[in-house]
Amino acid sequence: MPTKLKTQEIFLKGTPISRGIAIGKPFFFSLIEDSNPEFTVAHTDIGNEIERYRRAISRSKEDIVLLQKKLEHEKVVEGAGILEAQVHIMQDPMMTTQVENEIRHTRKNAESAFQRIMKQYQKKFNAIADPFFRERFKDIQDISRRVMAYLRESVRVSLADIPPNSIVFASDLTASDTAEANAASVSAIVSETGGSTSHAAIVAKAKGIPYVTSVKFNWKEAPKDALIIVDGRTGDVIINPAPETLQKYQVLRQQLLTHLHKLGTSGSLKAETFDGYSIRLSANIEMANELELLHQYGGNGVGLFRSEYIFLSNQSFPSEDEQYQIYRRIVEKMHGLPIVIRTFDVGGDKKMANKQAEEEDNPFLGCRAIRFLLKEPEIFKTQLRAILRASAYGDVSVMFPMISSLSELLAAKSILKEAQKELSKKGVVIPKPLRIGCMIEVPSAAIISDLLAKECDFLSIGTNDLVQYSLAVDRSNHAMSSLYTPTHPSVIRLLKLIVNEANNHSIPVTVCGEVAADPRFTPLLLGLGVHELSVASRYIPLVKNAIRSTSIVAASRLAEKALILPTAYEIEELLNQEYRKNVPEDCFYNC
Amino acid sequence: MKLIQKVQVKNMMGLHTRPATAIVKMLQNSKCDVSFTYKKATINAKSILSILMLAARKNSKITITVEGSDADATMEKLLIAFENEFGE
Repeated sequence: MPTKLKTQEIFLKGTPISRGIAIGKPFFFSLIEDSNPEFTVAHTDIGNEIERYRRAISRSKEDIVLLQKKLEHEKVVEGAGILEAQVHIMQDPMMTTQVENEIRHTRKNAESAFQRIMKQYQKKFNAIADPFFRERFKDIQDISRRVMAYLRESVRVSLADIPPNSIVFASDLTASDTAEANAASVSAIVSETGGSTSHAAIVAKAKGIPYVTSVKFNWKEAPKDALIIVDGRTGDVIINPAPETLQKYQVLRQQLLTHLHKLGTSGSLKAETFDGYSIRLSANIEMANELELLHQYGGNGVGLFRSEYIFLSNQSFPSEDEQYQIYRRIVEKMHGLPIVIRTFDVGGDKKMANKQAEEEDNPFLGCRAIRFLLKEPEIFKTQLRAILRASAYGDVSVMFPMISSLSELLAAKSILKEAQKELSKKGVVIPKPLRIGCMIEVPSAAIISDLLAKECDFLSIGTNDLVQYSLAVDRSNHAMSSLYTPTHPSVIRLLKLIVNEANNHSIPVTVCGEVAADPRFTPLLLGLGVHELSVASRYIPLVKNAIRSTSIVAASRLAEKALILPTAYEIEELLNQEYRKNVPEDCFYNC
Repeated sequence: MKLIQKVQVKNMMGLHTRPATAIVKMLQNSKCDVSFTYKKATINAKSILSILMLAARKNSKITITVEGSDADATMEKLLIAFENEFGE
């Protein structure tokens, strides 16, 4: 690289995924397995080479045992079980003796011997006809990544223990990479690929880590000690910022932190407009340990518990008792606040290998969520029995995902009845009937929301899917991201229709998609008549502040205006303007 | 002593990660040689990877061979575990 580049201010532009501003040093996080030299080891060094391999295995095993203990401590039983299996895989003679023999016989370095054996296993697993068993290779891959990293030393496997204030550069990140990230040291993430609704993105947002993707840059050549600014609001990535640029962002960052700090202390304040209209502000959660934040921020309950996340990594459905234990623990941690458990939403981009054997050309239009559950009534009923049993310990509702017709809702309800009967036959007493919610995330459901409203106790609008299905835009395809517009007039009209029908039937309606967590949408949603917003816990203060900064009168007027505007762009501008007026101090969204 | 018995896999998902872990854990201190035979393949039952690679689904019939000093007790434990679906 020419020396000039090393100090020159470089502006890069990517797609912003998670908001926030970070200033830090680059950290190159790579999973590349291409540069893996093979060399012959001197006869006298074979012993050392094998010892080196054993050390890599034992360090990897220590890692996993530690992680396993951590999960056990956090009562993530399923996850701990997977890790226990990984420990046994690392003790497997196929991992130990076989690799050692390979080193001994070929006299090649440990890395190359290890990878050769792994390739053989991959071949064997690929040859298995049953896709469920074929998928098990993922565990081995996970282990081999860790072992290789210890062999190569230079490459770190975990985002958990990187230097503080790092800007992580990666070609792509998995959800588990991001989950390991420590928000105190990972200041921001910049990646070459990855969509805004990928699981990695969702995790980054939940942790409040700024994230910019689709950055085209040969980052392998970037100077290691360069200062880097990442603006997760605009997608700007600036390398070697000039003093003026740096100062500008330092001021912005400070403002942002002050604002967020102020919001964070709003736990005891009510979620009501300044003219006294109060709405329920709840949390979307995936794990029990997210509840702490909910309580700290004064959330009104859990509006969406994504039950499938507990099990997704495990690739198999837990028994009724295991589920019951998990649900019960979460329900007890609610301390009396209501919780809505959404039944498994698998399929689409959340694949569970075991039961969805057939590859689908269009998984988002295929067998996902309620369609899958109705096809697998035993899995469905097992979950419902577990939820029913857990409901004795608090205020629990159940919600069915991706309903697209009345008959699906009726079928789901009748399976719920069966589950209830089975339990009462066994003498299990369910003190009160479960409240039943219907998710509205398919246009067909939105259009017949009057029919669905008659058959349930509440409606919950999942905007991510509703936008994707209404506009026929794949939300994970970021080449189409400019067409993925939640402010499209068709979406606003659908929202209006759903809320009206819910109100006509006197049942509450919740909005639980990304839109609910965007404070610029808050006045519009209030104005349309939504009763409850459910957002990732960390967005509660931001949305609460937006609620408290508007009046229901102004919000209704805003909704009326939005309903007559003809384009997504104009509606978006209207919302931006209103937000700038209501919350001028928020440089997080106003930019 | 060498014992041979046939069992049927009862677990809904077959011999997947959890049952395989349970088997390996159970056998790790056993002095016997234990092998499973399924569809012409015979594997070391103390190797979790080998068990997974059998890809034995629900209702598959596995032949268990146990050879060694505590063969009786080991076989007994294995049969009970298969019968109890490894606690699932």
